[in-house]
Amino acid sequence: MIDENVDVDEDSEKVVNTGCCHDCGGRCVLKAHVKNGKIIRIETDNNEEPQIRACARGRAYRQRVYSEKRLKYPLRRVGERGEGNFEQISWEEALSHVATRILEIKEKYGNSAILFVSGGGNQGMLHGVTPVGLMLNLIGGYTRYWGIPSYEGALFASMATYGTIMTGNARNDLLNSKLIIMWGWNPANTVWDPGTSLWLAKARENGTKIVAIDPIFTDSAAILADEWIAIRPGTDTAMLLAMAYVIITEKLQNQLFIDKYTVGFDHYKDYVLGHEDGQPKTPSWAEEITTVPAKIITKLAREYATNKPAALIAGWGPARTTFGEQYSRAANVLCAITGNIGINGGYASGFMRAYYSRESGGSVGKKKEGPIKQMDEKYKPKKPRPQDNLVDFNAPPRKEALYKLRGGTNPASTRVHFNDYYNLILQGTKGGYPADIKMAYICGTNRLNQYSNVNKGIKALKSLEFIVTHEQFMTPTAKFADIILPANTFMERNDIAVPWLGSPYYIYLNKAIDSLYESKSDLEICHELSKKLGIKSSLLDLPEDQILQIFTSPRKDITNYKKMKKDGYYKVEVQEPFVAFKKQIEDPENYPFPTISGKIEIYCEHIAEKNIPLMPAIPKYFSHEEHYDSPLTKKYPLQLITPHNKRRTHSSLHDLPWLEEIEPHAAWINPIDASIRNVRNGDIIDVYNDRGRVRIPAKITDRISPGVVCVYQGAWYDPDENGVDRGGCANVLTKDSYSPGGSFPMNSALVEVNLYHKNDLEGNL
Amino acid sequence: MNQIGFYFDQSRCTGCFTCSVACKDWHDIPAGPVNWIRVKSFEKGKFPNLFLAYLTVACNHCADPPCVKACPTNAITKREKDGIVVIDREKCIGKDECGYKCLKVCPWDSPQFSNELNAKMEKCDLCLDRLEKGQQTICVEACPMYALDVGPIEVLQGKYGNHIEAEGFLNNDKIKPSIVLKPKK
Repeated sequence: MIDENVDVDEDSEKVVNTGCCHDCGGRCVLKAHVKNGKIIRIETDNNEEPQIRACARGRAYRQRVYSEKRLKYPLRRVGERGEGNFEQISWEEALSHVATRILEIKEKYGNSAILFVSGGGNQGMLHGVTPVGLMLNLIGGYTRYWGIPSYEGALFASMATYGTIMTGNARNDLLNSKLIIMWGWNPANTVWDPGTSLWLAKARENGTKIVAIDPIFTDSAAILADEWIAIRPGTDTAMLLAMAYVIITEKLQNQLFIDKYTVGFDHYKDYVLGHEDGQPKTPSWAEEITTVPAKIITKLAREYATNKPAALIAGWGPARTTFGEQYSRAANVLCAITGNIGINGGYASGFMRAYYSRESGGSVGKKKEGPIKQMDEKYKPKKPRPQDNLVDFNAPPRKEALYKLRGGTNPASTRVHFNDYYNLILQGTKGGYPADIKMAYICGTNRLNQYSNVNKGIKALKSLEFIVTHEQFMTPTAKFADIILPANTFMERNDIAVPWLGSPYYIYLNKAIDSLYESKSDLEICHELSKKLGIKSSLLDLPEDQILQIFTSPRKDITNYKKMKKDGYYKVEVQEPFVAFKKQIEDPENYPFPTISGKIEIYCEHIAEKNIPLMPAIPKYFSHEEHYDSPLTKKYPLQLITPHNKRRTHSSLHDLPWLEEIEPHAAWINPIDASIRNVRNGDIIDVYNDRGRVRIPAKITDRISPGVVCVYQGAWYDPDENGVDRGGCANVLTKDSYSPGGSFPMNSALVEVNLYHKNDLEGNL
Repeated sequence: MNQIGFYFDQSRCTGCFTCSVACKDWHDIPAGPVNWIRVKSFEKGKFPNLFLAYLTVACNHCADPPCVKACPTNAITKREKDGIVVIDREKCIGKDECGYKCLKVCPWDSPQFSNELNAKMEKCDLCLDRLEKGQQTICVEACPMYALDVGPIEVLQGKYGNHIEAEGFLNNDKIKPSIVLKPKK
């Protein structure tokens, strides 16, 4: 029988239209060539423009599906947690055990003792965390997180300044910019929706000047930009403030725009000019902090303020720092005071979403306009719905929370910051946390690897009564589980994926092959487990495509579901490039900004009311205990940054041979820092601080600023008998803290580097 | 003859390796030393004044290919129809027996050999299997930056100009590589 959604090739190969949906900056078209039930090749979008072309990660996917390291059947731990010793058990045994333990813990300690450790490892609507959350809701809820490591600082700043995350312009609008500033933004490696690098290249070919600001001479800085400004990590706010100083003192600000569309400029001006704290934020002041020469700061400020329209695109990486939200706020404010908002070729920075494809069904096409009242009743349903978690239903908001925050950061006080999970587990209610955690249900995440402070994480995971995980591979996290349920890959199931940031398209992932070995989809696992948990009937009982139709039915932009399923993608026709806040600028009477004041909040009264000293109402620059100027630098003089590289998606796709050979894992270090430590290219070095020690090869390169070490995040933790990580997991070194606005400090750790031993790897790095 | 060749826009190449991985997937080549299309990087300068460029190198299907002459068993031939240089692996006697004669004369290291004992030569054939069906090569269809193109060299020259310079590319007038380049400045 031939499936109507499958193109049959002449050599009895069938081509299944599917897509790639890990947690990268993409979501791209994959066409799986299947012969005798096996994927033999993969192509990408070769249909109409704009094509949604997959990158190397997606093209290498065959090696992931058929990896010998795939988990093949349910496993029960037999050794100590973390040792990785497991025995094969049946699905019946595994699911019965999991159900029994969940029900025992629920009965004995209540639902808040169940911690859902969720993650974005699968970005389909249907599989991954979605069915698990639904199932756990149906048994009374669970304790969960607030804060997303990728973007929490940018999210907070976007909501504080603009009251929305829809702050981006469509990529093709970059052609209208005279100047583009890529601030801590490396789309050549991180994609930022397919086509982004291509549009940047086209803009540059069209005469647009592009400047990159980054501690690393990234591929984006090297290839897409005209100019690279090297900046010391975590000091971006100081440079943005100094640019504001130049703009204000040289009267280059757009005062008409400021008067009409913003509130609180005078507060900001007072701080920038030094009237508030006695320190004018001059370019010379910023040079000391950022290492960027004052004349370069001044020049860029003038260029940005006078070359209109100009797009300042503030990447999320510099906000993955202690007080990262201040950087994002300062960038947003610079966009505002130059009047680069709501116009073609401009850019508001903020969260930077430019289309609604990622919004939950109900809001698509029903964009709420105008100012929103504090604690809008809309956000407080009276009765719990199936998607509501009873553990935090109607809990009062956290005191730091802005009145509306989406993207997984509902302000309920029962939620715990994602980077604070280990303290939650280890301290519980005695430590002031909202729950005493007894078990973890882990899905879609290699949690231990991907959140700060791996060594504390090990203690926390060891202290739990029960851990279950859905996994495809024996990750460092899975080694701590009591039961591992083998999940299939997206090639083995149907799903729909939305673009990472939100572009006008959808990907329908048609199942290409049957589940390998004994693996099951997350939906199948939850369907079967829900029966054992006593859940009589639920969405989990329906076939995949039926649930997908339910999920997509409120989306008015999908006008032809059948076509989407057949083609494997659905490109929404957009009349003109989306420009955030166009209506707010053109018709402010009828379209106020969705903030409390109805204007762009340079000074945010709502934050001021909270009276939290390190969460100021205007963006400010702060140092902190692991900053370049802290006393700790005597012991640990180097700043660690942990960005994303081109060969992994977080910790997914880590050990695929085709990707591994692109860029062998190594710590990047500047020749100056290497030579004083007697380290040569390819030597094995220890990168360490009080939290742990990572032992990896050194790549000595001028592409990284002096004083900075880069360990790309995502490599798998692999401890020796002394707990030294030979895998090169960056989060062994990062701190499990968070800023008042929620930023994760993945780029704010101090370290030292020592030579471990000489190596002859030179030439391979 | 309607010589077919490559176009490569170095100013756009971000070194993402998608072409290379797509090539390995399509032609079913394991990770390792065999790369029908390679992505090389060229770094110059000292912090903070740096230059970085990438260069993709496949086979340039030269107008006068030295590998064809060097092969002791005539295993390498240039197709009359389109000038594509192809290898007959039945005739190739293997790297150890022959001593890499084709590789030694190629300025771009296009002949590729696996680590296997006496491995036979393999290299880019411009996706003949796809070309014969009227499809573009897998690398051209893969490139997210649209930095690659394959077609009759005259057509490419008409579209992109006559340049054969790019960072890291050593031209060779004698053997005439069938390529058009746009350099990164």
